[in-house]
Amino acid sequence: MTATFGRFLILASVLVSTTGAFIAYAAGAKRSPEGLKWSQRFAYAFAGLMVIATGVMEYALITHDFSVQYVAHVGSTQVPLWVTIVSLWSSLEGSILFWGFILGIYIAATTWVNRNQHQEYMPFAIGTWLSCGAFFSFLIAGPANPFLSVIPAPLEGPGPNPLLQNHLLMIIHPPMLYLGYVGMTIPFGFAAAALLRGRLGQSFLRPLRASLLLPWVFLTIAIMLGGWWAYEVLGWGGYWAWDPVENASLLPWLTATAALHSAIVMERRGVLKGWTVTLIQASFLLTILGTFMTRSGVFNSVHSFTQSAIGPTILIFLTAVLLFSVILLALRIDSLEAEGRIESAVSREGMFLVNNLFFVVFTFTVLVGTVFPLVVEAVKGKQMSVGRPYFDAMVVPVGTALLFLLGVGPALPWGKTSRKEMLRVLLPPLITGAVVLIIGYVLGVRSAWTLVTLLFGGYAAHVTLAQMWLPLRQRLKKGDAFAPALIDAQLRRGRRRFGGYVVHAGAVIVFVAIAVSSTMRTQQEVTLTRGQSTTFAGYTVTFTGTEERTEPHRQSTIAHFNISKPGGPSGGGTSGGGGGGTLITTMEPRMNQYAAMREPIGTPAVYSTIGRDYYLSIMNLQGDQAGILIINMPMVGWIWGAVLLMGAGGLIALIPARKRTYVVVPESAPTIDDEAIA
Amino acid sequence: MNRTVLIIGIIIVAAIVFVLFAGLGKDPQHIDSPLVGKPAPPFALKAVNTGETIDLESLRGKPVIVNFWATWCVPCYEEHPTLVANARQLPDVQFVGVVFNDTEDKINRFLAERGSAYPTLLDANGKTAIAYGVGGVPETYFINRAGTIVAKYEGPMSTEILQENLAKALR
Repeated sequence: MTATFGRFLILASVLVSTTGAFIAYAAGAKRSPEGLKWSQRFAYAFAGLMVIATGVMEYALITHDFSVQYVAHVGSTQVPLWVTIVSLWSSLEGSILFWGFILGIYIAATTWVNRNQHQEYMPFAIGTWLSCGAFFSFLIAGPANPFLSVIPAPLEGPGPNPLLQNHLLMIIHPPMLYLGYVGMTIPFGFAAAALLRGRLGQSFLRPLRASLLLPWVFLTIAIMLGGWWAYEVLGWGGYWAWDPVENASLLPWLTATAALHSAIVMERRGVLKGWTVTLIQASFLLTILGTFMTRSGVFNSVHSFTQSAIGPTILIFLTAVLLFSVILLALRIDSLEAEGRIESAVSREGMFLVNNLFFVVFTFTVLVGTVFPLVVEAVKGKQMSVGRPYFDAMVVPVGTALLFLLGVGPALPWGKTSRKEMLRVLLPPLITGAVVLIIGYVLGVRSAWTLVTLLFGGYAAHVTLAQMWLPLRQRLKKGDAFAPALIDAQLRRGRRRFGGYVVHAGAVIVFVAIAVSSTMRTQQEVTLTRGQSTTFAGYTVTFTGTEERTEPHRQSTIAHFNISKPGGPSGGGTSGGGGGGTLITTMEPRMNQYAAMREPIGTPAVYSTIGRDYYLSIMNLQGDQAGILIINMPMVGWIWGAVLLMGAGGLIALIPARKRTYVVVPESAPTIDDEAIA
Repeated sequence: MNRTVLIIGIIIVAAIVFVLFAGLGKDPQHIDSPLVGKPAPPFALKAVNTGETIDLESLRGKPVIVNFWATWCVPCYEEHPTLVANARQLPDVQFVGVVFNDTEDKINRFLAERGSAYPTLLDANGKTAIAYGVGGVPETYFINRAGTIVAKYEGPMSTEILQENLAKALR
């Protein structure tokens, strides 16, 4: 019954989205207000169907209705309620339904927000969104149908993928990623609408940018959560492995970040329109490519959704969207004429161009490294993998260059600048950079790349903070009182600008923390017998014993360690004594053997302090002996915090201005305050 | 119509689509073993269940199936009955189990509970597993009468898979 109802809803959504897409495109072509009204109704109907269908699936999961095939695959009466709820996205079919759910909400919300605006573009945008909706409905109705019936219904199911159950981060990482991925459909629809209409007016830039910024925020957080999860769970002591699926989430983030920047130049100078539209289209295409990577089973990765039938279907969709985008761009790029021009290379807008260039190089580097093994296998029939050394060697210089721009770009004024003015803005931050560099050197940093990162990071931090609070300082100079000036200049009028610099501040910290944590980490492998201890990086680690624990979905061996500050005679080197000193904490890394996995998975233990993480991972356990890997990693925790700061900055910039009127900025003499409005 | 955009775009699309289509249907987990077609690395290990030492060299002239496994590996539990049944049916083929990262008493308990039909060797320090490049358990190598590795299979085998690979060793 539930399964039949679910199938009916999905078939209805195929019908509604397809019809809606046709009506919307026709309304766009004929500029029919009545047609637009109808396409809006179809957009809401599609969202409604998706929401109800997802509700039906959740209901089936929670009531353990094993007559529904998806529930029979991932459900179990033995798992806690929260696991049952998140099972929706634990396996292929459910995750595609979840995709449709989020897409529906995005489409309906964007249609609602713009219901009385941008009538010129909206029909084409709705048509494009509903076309994507039609594809995903088709996917749910056919190759990845979660609503098939199982007759007779089994009495019990196996429960979801064990990896989903082993860390709470897995509850929020997938939805965040989906909000980021699926959300890229919206700016893609807007960009396609601009191309189909053959123009991109100033007033349309705001929804275009906002629709790109929202999924960007989600994607930023999702990428960080994925790294954090890998770090806390996988036990190799890192947060980024250039795994194809990690790369898949990074690629659209890179192009979207580039597009957010080029959109600013487009807004200020009326140039780079075709380029920005191309970047937005690329971001959406890369999310589809990423979905293909995770769901087709073609790439080897920790996200082992096994070989599935939807690979070819997604690939056909990807091909269709690629062709649609390329042909549309070729047809219309020339009609998005540039209204202004870039006057000087060494200027704010010039730096934006270089920034975009580096982001594109970054994207290509990662894309090539990810796809190269497939190319080699297709051409030569040989297997190979592209590993860390390639990515590190290619990405570190590009990343460092981006950090440099993060400092220099915002420091430079728009337009032409005199040499004297340039020196006045560029020189003072060098002092901060040098100070940070010296502090790092004194603290023991010797890696050349890290020292350069510290120099550029200090420089960028100076510029970012100065720019961030510039409107406030200007108000204070004018004689305004502090509190109203703060609220008005930073949070009301200058909110978007302020949010942007908050993102930059987060980014500077991320750059520095990545450089420091990867080059300053020290590690040691030791084998300890029960009762034995070793001292490493300021702590004494004592192995106190092991414990076996059996849970329904896994068997674990847990090793117990005491961590203490060395003191007394037993400190230093491996010793047989109790360790001595004062006990700080205990750590319990474990080895988990999940049913149906070939290899055991270690779960490390991490002791985090503000300055550094102390990381303990089991290499092997044999009787009374534990082989462990101890890693001392400075500044890792800063990465998570700083990425959250970036997300917060993005949200600040997103809050819509109270008045929806658009102030046209005179192009000749931009001051800081009109940037705040822009 | 901007021809440059169209041509560059179509080239990029064609390249991406070609590569991705070519990749469809391949199992990325599968790694061709460089050992296939090469002489099997020799080993002489003590059998847990019988106590005798088995030398691979001494098995020359018989097709040999070397199955790497461990008691902590769940898929090995699934595969075990298939191996035992086939070993009983195929007296002319020498089955050998090699266990690594494990202890003798656990192996003995496993075999007592689930039965055994061929020698199970303990690879105490994992040297043999390293020599064969074992990536995970279970993993099985098929060696022909001349002592050359002819096939490798990763993961639990069904009887069909076992027979299919064994056929290469019998040729």
